[in-house]
Amino acid sequence: MKSALLIAVVLLAAASIPLYAGSYPVSFLVQTFIFIGLAYSWNLIGGYAGYTHFGQVTFFGLGAYVGAISIGNGVPWLWATLLAALFAAVCAALLGGIMLRLKGPFFAIGMFGIARVCESLALGLDNITQGGTGLYLTAVDLERVYYAAGAVVLILLIATWRLDSSRLGLQLLSIREDETAAAALGVRTTRLKIGTFIASAFMPGALGSLYACYLGYIDPTTAFAPMTELTVIAMVLLGGMGTVLGPLVGALALSVVNEVLWARLPEIYLALVGVIILIAVLFMPRGIVNFAQRRAWSWVPTPRGHLRRLAERRGKVNPPPKRFARPAQGGNAGGPAEPDPRRP
Amino acid sequence: MMQEDVLVVEDVRKSFGGRVALDGASLRIARGSITGVIGPNGSGKSTLFNIVAGTLPPDAGRVLFDGKDLAHTSPAEICRRGLGRTFQISRLFSELTVLENLVVVAHGLSDADAVQRALELLDFLEISALRDKWGAELSYGQRKLVEIARALMLAPRVMLLDEPFAGINPRLQNRIVEHLQALRTQGLTLFFIDHEMRIVLEICDDLYVLAEGQVIAHGDAAAIRADERVKEAYF
Repeated sequence: MKSALLIAVVLLAAASIPLYAGSYPVSFLVQTFIFIGLAYSWNLIGGYAGYTHFGQVTFFGLGAYVGAISIGNGVPWLWATLLAALFAAVCAALLGGIMLRLKGPFFAIGMFGIARVCESLALGLDNITQGGTGLYLTAVDLERVYYAAGAVVLILLIATWRLDSSRLGLQLLSIREDETAAAALGVRTTRLKIGTFIASAFMPGALGSLYACYLGYIDPTTAFAPMTELTVIAMVLLGGMGTVLGPLVGALALSVVNEVLWARLPEIYLALVGVIILIAVLFMPRGIVNFAQRRAWSWVPTPRGHLRRLAERRGKVNPPPKRFARPAQGGNAGGPAEPDPRRP
Repeated sequence: MMQEDVLVVEDVRKSFGGRVALDGASLRIARGSITGVIGPNGSGKSTLFNIVAGTLPPDAGRVLFDGKDLAHTSPAEICRRGLGRTFQISRLFSELTVLENLVVVAHGLSDADAVQRALELLDFLEISALRDKWGAELSYGQRKLVEIARALMLAPRVMLLDEPFAGINPRLQNRIVEHLQALRTQGLTLFFIDHEMRIVLEICDDLYVLAEGQVIAHGDAAAIRADERVKEAYF
């Protein structure tokens, strides 16, 4: 109940910000929302399914171009954004079937290559994209972009939360842990991977289009910026891969740190951000949220809480045997007093 | 064997580069039996299992499960048809809890039913206390038991056990044997690889001995004990 109240307050506060805040904070929040949305999307394939890659910006960039070109052709910006998302998802479906045959570093670098190919295409196909000059469009009202990006973040947050306590989420984690074993145990890994890849491309497409609406302008280096990619990955790593709150925490933390340092120490701010990430990774290699979960801090929800609650409920009906309750001759492999198998 | 064969391996061949791992091995596993495969290291036992489970494609020959050819069937589909397996080297999902390790492979069950089944299996194998431990936290013997529980989550008709007794203390070995025999009385077919001759000779109805990718002997424990070639290759 308390958490529901807290969520309601946060949502109301977030929704009312454009009513009283100036354009600078709203603009900052739009950018932060875009990063949070990208971080959540990357978390699906990189965090849950374990297919980390450096090519998410492909879908962001394609979305930006599809959105900008559609708006240029008179499509209303919201419809253009939907179109951009669908286009990114279709591209992911086509790419996923090919690229997801690769694993580990090969997939990660391969996707980086795809992003570079798209950037070159955007630069080269200048009859469509205006090449390096970029495309200009009438910027959409900042408040509207704010609410649209906020809605994307909310949808992704809820979707991730639902995924986390579902068996689908567990199956994705099993792919991350050991894909061969998962397949041998009946998990349909190929279709799950491709499905997740498509889902992880949909919102970046939409966010790309919103970014174009926000800037009123798009060019290849902005749309497919490697810096965007790396920032998103750093955010997820910092917050915690494969967790519900990780992308949110990581993106907020890094955005705020960036903003504060950038304003105060413009000469050395990037170096400082690097040092902060380094320290965080050294002491919390699995990110802030995983760190907190392992210590069972009360404000962090337990991962996959739904299954645990089910087990607790069943456990009460049919209590598990108590420790040491079994007679000695029956063995006690399950108990904490299991003899060390390495002992002669 | 009087009963029909649930699993048939016909003249399977497999080589890796120039090295021949299986050189025309044929086996028949009767429904409801406990069948063991023994053989020296490198004799092709694990390759045989990987081919049966669909993880590796054979170069030649075929595998029939319930009379149906398993060629071009993905490991996931083979598993869903009723062939569960454990691995020689533990492949528990280390960042999932024991309960989650089990629930994740429950196919076609609701969450509540999957949890219920997982709890029953943990209880059956007397490892309920491990329920909320992470896969990575378990000892070697505990992992073996959880792997068996996980394979049983699939409600398989045939279970492939890859060295379930290796590196396990005798008392725990005896417990696993008890559980396996209890499962067999429930109608499960067990097909396993192991080096633990004491157990293999004791519990198997039917034994195959592999050496250099070929079946060099087949029969019950007494026949295998008496076989000269087996003595030469193995004992």
